[in-house]
Amino acid sequence: MKLKLLVLCLLLSCFSVASAQEGTSPPEDTLLFDSTLLPAPVTNLVAFDTENDHGHAITLEWEISVDDGAGKQSVAMYEVFRWVPDLMTAIPSFRDTLDYLKLRTSSSWSEPEPGSRTDSIHSVFAKLDMAQLEQKKETLERTIGQAIRDLPAAHAAYPENGSWQQVAVAPSGSVTAEDVGTKEKDSPDYLPDYSDFYYRVNAVTADPDIRTPSEIFGPVQSYGQWFNLGRLAVFVFVMIFGFLTIFFVSHARRGADLYVRPLAGIEAVDDAIGRATEMGRPILYVMGLGTADQIATIASFTILGRVAKRVAEYQTKLMVPAYESVVMAVAQEVVKTAYYDAGRPDDYKEDIVFFVTSLQFAYVAAVNGLMLRELPATNVYMGKFFAESLLLAETGAVAGSIQIAGTDEIAQIPFFIVACDYTLIGEELYAASAYLGREPILLGSLKAQDWAKAAVIILVLAGLILANLGVGNDWAWANNIVDFFRVVD
Amino acid sequence: MGKVNLTLLLAAVAIVIIIAIALIFPLERLGQLYSLLLIFGGLVALLLRSIFAKEVDRRIIFLFIFVAVAAPLLFPITFSEKPTAVVKAVFDRVESLPPGSTVLLSFDFDPAMAPEVQPMANAISRHCLKKGHKVIFMSLWATGQALLTQSLTNTILPEFPEKQDGIDYVNIGYKAGNEGVLNVIVSNFEKMFPTDVNSVPLGEIEIFDDIRSCRDLDFIVSFGGGLPGSKEWVLFVGDPGGVDVAAGVAAVVAPQLYPYYPAQLVGILGGVKGAAEYEFSLKETYPDLKDMDTPGLKMMGPQTLAHIVIISFIVIGNIIYFRGRRKEKGQ
Amino acid sequence: MRKVTIIVMAAVIVLFLASWILKAGAFQGEHDHYIIRGFLVTFAAFLTLAVMSFLYQDNPYYKFAEHLFVGVSAAFWMCMGFWTTIVQNLVPRLSTSLADFFEVPQRAEGLNFFFYTPVILGILLLLRLSRKIGWISRWPLAFIVGTTAGLNFIRYLRSDFIKQISSTFVPLLGRDWEGIGAFFSNLDLSATGQLVMMVSNWVIFLGVFCGLIYFYFSREHKGVFGAGSRVGIWILMITFGASFGYTVMGRISLLVGRITFLFRDWLELI
Repeated sequence: MKLKLLVLCLLLSCFSVASAQEGTSPPEDTLLFDSTLLPAPVTNLVAFDTENDHGHAITLEWEISVDDGAGKQSVAMYEVFRWVPDLMTAIPSFRDTLDYLKLRTSSSWSEPEPGSRTDSIHSVFAKLDMAQLEQKKETLERTIGQAIRDLPAAHAAYPENGSWQQVAVAPSGSVTAEDVGTKEKDSPDYLPDYSDFYYRVNAVTADPDIRTPSEIFGPVQSYGQWFNLGRLAVFVFVMIFGFLTIFFVSHARRGADLYVRPLAGIEAVDDAIGRATEMGRPILYVMGLGTADQIATIASFTILGRVAKRVAEYQTKLMVPAYESVVMAVAQEVVKTAYYDAGRPDDYKEDIVFFVTSLQFAYVAAVNGLMLRELPATNVYMGKFFAESLLLAETGAVAGSIQIAGTDEIAQIPFFIVACDYTLIGEELYAASAYLGREPILLGSLKAQDWAKAAVIILVLAGLILANLGVGNDWAWANNIVDFFRVVD
Repeated sequence: MGKVNLTLLLAAVAIVIIIAIALIFPLERLGQLYSLLLIFGGLVALLLRSIFAKEVDRRIIFLFIFVAVAAPLLFPITFSEKPTAVVKAVFDRVESLPPGSTVLLSFDFDPAMAPEVQPMANAISRHCLKKGHKVIFMSLWATGQALLTQSLTNTILPEFPEKQDGIDYVNIGYKAGNEGVLNVIVSNFEKMFPTDVNSVPLGEIEIFDDIRSCRDLDFIVSFGGGLPGSKEWVLFVGDPGGVDVAAGVAAVVAPQLYPYYPAQLVGILGGVKGAAEYEFSLKETYPDLKDMDTPGLKMMGPQTLAHIVIISFIVIGNIIYFRGRRKEKGQ
Repeated sequence: MRKVTIIVMAAVIVLFLASWILKAGAFQGEHDHYIIRGFLVTFAAFLTLAVMSFLYQDNPYYKFAEHLFVGVSAAFWMCMGFWTTIVQNLVPRLSTSLADFFEVPQRAEGLNFFFYTPVILGILLLLRLSRKIGWISRWPLAFIVGTTAGLNFIRYLRSDFIKQISSTFVPLLGRDWEGIGAFFSNLDLSATGQLVMMVSNWVIFLGVFCGLIYFYFSREHKGVFGAGSRVGIWILMITFGASFGYTVMGRISLLVGRITFLFRDWLELI
């Protein structure tokens, strides 16, 4: 194995044109100073795999030097060193050569600036022809791949063919540091998992040449965890929500009677239809700009069904201008079914639901014109609304219609509230739809949400009490519960 | 309708005369006096009309707003601003970071939002560079990149000629992908931004020597108001990466961000008011920036007058409404 | 055409040309392309005024500006989508020769077969245009909806739910009693004084609590529950009012921006 590594190193060094890694010389402890100046070393150094990560990182902990903040008070910082095999140190410079070769063989190649790093590599390969360059490139690619695969073995060869390199620093007083690498194999910071690492920590004085190394700790390996326990709270809540939703949906499917409180806005719709009948004026139903796959639009279909049924019973006129062709098709189906259910299929006409345009403000202009010409007794706006919300509702108010709105676009709710008589705020739209349609999926998820809300109320109350009492009284268990909600990565 | 047109015509003539006089005698005080007289005189007239139960045409309101906005622009009226806690928190954070910290500023807005958001983006960029922080500029909006370049070349860089691209600041530009971009840069910048806007590879830029991902940043400020915006920065970078994020947003979305303050957002600059407060703090702390351009503070004059007009109209509208209701009841 | 329409149109054209000539004259010497620059500033001012004219009543100038805006932005986003998403994000990972063709830097780690998946899904999405096999486009759509829902679910649950719950764990009774003087000190709304802090903590707690009660649909709102829900709707209304106020400020800022453009860049009054 060692022989193989040696051969690999030799092979790689053939390509190594660039100078060696800059910086970090190994901390050889040739003492040229008065040994009384040296700070005491850190003690009880331990290194372990960083928890809750995908690997490629090691956490170190130690007890501070007795000269840090006490004693001689001479420690200014700590330097963390890792033993790095020569093979690993060599890879980046080979990669520079490979990058050069790739560039050289591509069409975007241009002569490098004289004196630059690329130029120094170029001077070696300048005379080769394209075929030779391609061949060198392939060999180098293969060699680097092999070198990366051999990294664990090279680490295992400690202390042969390697040197100490600084990987982190920590200010005086700190007792922990992290050596974080990356999983990207082509990054200079790549840190292989399941390789034996060896660490030492130097206590450094204000004069950076005066430092004392600790005992060496090793071997230690990094590896990834399957689960990040810091996110346990997220997992718990996903499971609870998932369970509640499935439970209530299946419950509703089996025909359970799930109670939903009546909503003022929905009752108002019934009154408004009656009023329209008395006045002999039509009802305008606007479904907004949403597409047929959005929840607000789906909820709007259910409410449209109810409105259409009532309209059919009272024999009032209904107008549904549509913004999108699919929405129009579905709405036509909904209205048709409602007329059949009401026992008045003959009254149904195809042009109750009609297509206007798919341009936002053109649609507004058309609907506004309709409001001013036909003077509907009631305007119902249910679905997704954007900047047009106030334009529509304002015109409706000017025309003197009773207006009922509902949307889950939070930014538009204030506009509807000021201009309409009743507004279904956010979730109330879904609730109204579940209340009217009794559709198991809608009803089940509404129930699940209610349970989740109840859980939140209880959690907030409990958390508040714990946070208020626990902090004052230093109850560790109370703080633990509060900390559960502070998700960490 | 005839009456309305007459009122409109009279008002228009009055404006033209007043502007003409102000142009002939360019005395600022005179202009201010005229415009205030016009606005408040008009409001009193409308109030009287409304008491006698006459309706106000909506176009009159537009005209009033126009005058209230235009007059203070022609004859500047400025106010002093007392920074609120949410704005002060952002200012103090930038101020308290040690020089050389790395701050990321993301310009996530389009020309439609620019009048509101660009002043604060400029103020915070200026503050960061003044303080000696290294600044990374980027954008999640395609239209934001042009505004970012505009801010840099026209406003910020001419004030700091000594700052060097790649060492003191870097512009990595726009990348398509919305929150997908954030999801990646929270663990690796280079994957999403292989180069900066000048096609310099990230590996060769000095600022990125110690910065691999958003987790290595000291502070992030996202300027925007749409999607993706500050909320996405909190959701995809601030919370998972444990980085401090602040938001500078268009006024419309500011209320939706307050729930994140102070736990998930360091502070919020909401609309022009936030920008004005920040500019004021900046001027107060750095007297040598006294002559800097302060669009936020300048906008507060028109804002204040326009708000007074709107509040007056709310009062007038309510008078009409309650009178009408009383009449209905009486009948 | 009515006589008035013709007169207005003639006036607009004359004003436009006059402004173009004057602006171009003003830019001469400052810019190389002063004629084009003069046109651009004049055109921008014309469009601004055309849009604002809608406040008086709907008119052809407004319609022109609106349609121009819709058309230009559609084209802009299409070009942007192509050059930033397809060319910059996808092409360098697909093939070297394509990258060379579009003159974008290649990605060393790229060139992965994995990146052909989005190409295939993208093409499937485009099948929507066909009536016969349009249904295939539902597959990539399902992929988009599924991944976005999954990605967002975790993020929202963590940031908007769990973190928000923990943010409501606030001290309701105040902490670190420092005497009555300190308690009543610093009464401005910046929430630094103890009393103000305590009051705002109570507002947060009651707001969350009563807001949740209002949106609880499984029980009729009567008695104590009804009282809580009424407080909840009051708090919601105050929130909407605040958001309305902010919106007014935002819209006026935009108006200031436009009027500044007209006064500074076009008329050069300020």
